[in-house]
Amino acid sequence: MKEITAIIRRDKLPATKSALDTLGYPSLTIQSVDGRGKQKGAMCAEMDSEMPESFCTGVKLTPTPSVYALEHTLPKKALYVPKRLLTIVVPDEAVEGIVKAIVSANQTGKRGDGKIFVSPIGGAVRVRTGETDGEAVA
Amino acid sequence: MKMIRAFVRPEKEQEIVLALEGAGFPSLTKMPVFGRGKQKGLQVGPVHYDELPKTLLMMVVDDEDELKAVGIISEKAKTGFIGDGKIFISPVENAYTVRTGEAGL
Repeated sequence: MKEITAIIRRDKLPATKSALDTLGYPSLTIQSVDGRGKQKGAMCAEMDSEMPESFCTGVKLTPTPSVYALEHTLPKKALYVPKRLLTIVVPDEAVEGIVKAIVSANQTGKRGDGKIFVSPIGGAVRVRTGETDGEAVA
Repeated sequence: MKMIRAFVRPEKEQEIVLALEGAGFPSLTKMPVFGRGKQKGLQVGPVHYDELPKTLLMMVVDDEDELKAVGIISEKAKTGFIGDGKIFISPVENAYTVRTGEAGL
């Protein structure tokens, strides 16, 4: 069994879910999280793929002495981008197909498309029946 | 690769994240969580708080960076009082960047 942890854009969630449905692995857990990547959360384009370009450039403050002072006295703040975190536990042989499906459903080519992590899972139990391991995730 | 999950005090999050950024680990995910530990929550006079708010920081690093990242988190998260949090480390076999579809961090 493997656990697939995917961190994706908020607006790509429906597309990802239907891609997983067609593969036959519809079970997943979704969490709303805040994330940052190599761009340290400063990338406006990371947020949603349909963000208009003009929104990202924003209003530039003219560098007067007071603006300079303001920028250099405020304590630095870590920035985050809202994301969706999906957790999917599947049998070993399904991992490759699911990773491919998530990549193709989420790829926009811009920074902030997300990451996918694959890690081993030691055991699983279906609470209703008490089935363990392979039967529990099948 | 290793996944580091750190349960820390919410008020310490910014300090930890900026320290990690300075050490070359800018990428992480945070989420608000509620939990309790060995002390079964917190007793303040007659009031018992069973679940306390914490921040969960999740990051994936290369094997050789694991101790460095954990050291920074534990140094910055420490106050010396009960409730500083826990750090869990688990193996990650593969990581993919969605934009390029390539394997690796």
